[in-house]
Amino acid sequence: MTQPRFDELIHPSTRLSLVALLAAADWAEFAFIREQLDLSDSALSKQLSTLEEAGYVEIERPVRDRRRRVRARLTPTGRAAFAGHVAALRQIVAAADSEQALV
Amino acid sequence: MEHPVTPNEARAALDTVDRGRRHVIDEIDLPRWYWFGLALGWIALGVITDLHHPWLTAAATLMFGAVHSTVAPRVVDGRHRSHRVSVRRELTGRQTARLVLGGVVALGFVTVGGSLALNADGANHPVTVTSVFVAVIIVLGGPQLLAAVRRRVARDVDADA
Repeated sequence: MTQPRFDELIHPSTRLSLVALLAAADWAEFAFIREQLDLSDSALSKQLSTLEEAGYVEIERPVRDRRRRVRARLTPTGRAAFAGHVAALRQIVAAADSEQALV
Repeated sequence: MEHPVTPNEARAALDTVDRGRRHVIDEIDLPRWYWFGLALGWIALGVITDLHHPWLTAAATLMFGAVHSTVAPRVVDGRHRSHRVSVRRELTGRQTARLVLGGVVALGFVTVGGSLALNADGANHPVTVTSVFVAVIIVLGGPQLLAAVRRRVARDVDADA
């Protein structure tokens, strides 16, 4: 069972979408993430750098079709942080719902 | 207990998580070439069978099976429609591969049954006719099957949330 743990680093909306996308994938290419989340190159690079510095994301540069691609994957630490954050969010919602049920 | 965000903010964040996941769920699919290749192979096998050379039919069937069993394991899990993202196995489970391969087996029975029925009716080239019919089902129904898988995965994620 995942321990709820609110993560300030993941919580901002853009970063949360990015981490949720990566959590559903083994890896995703930079261009794919940029298109799906409708971000600019620089905005996405900045978000990925922040997550990489925290040890949540790994950046790989494999070569495919003679072109170097950039792809990102969540590290085990990043996956654990994301799962804990989602559990914390659900806990907050569940607590509010049960309080409302008592009223 | 003091929460870092309000319940409404937490709900909005969970919606954001859901949207982030759906970008990847939408990628669960098989490459289009798989369906077209399967359909063309099916028709070719039907035409060869109608030539009434048992050794040729047996060789073609073996070749069809060998090519399919080489190609299918790489694509039928629905996780690698494109080279841009790899969908996590936990999301698709084994159900996608089972559905696709089960569908192929079921269509094999449809082909045999349809061919026997047409043959009994005195039709010319009964296997070819049935194979073309099945090929149309493959090309039109295959993507629909994967669309149903995506809906199921999205439902499971919602239920999990």
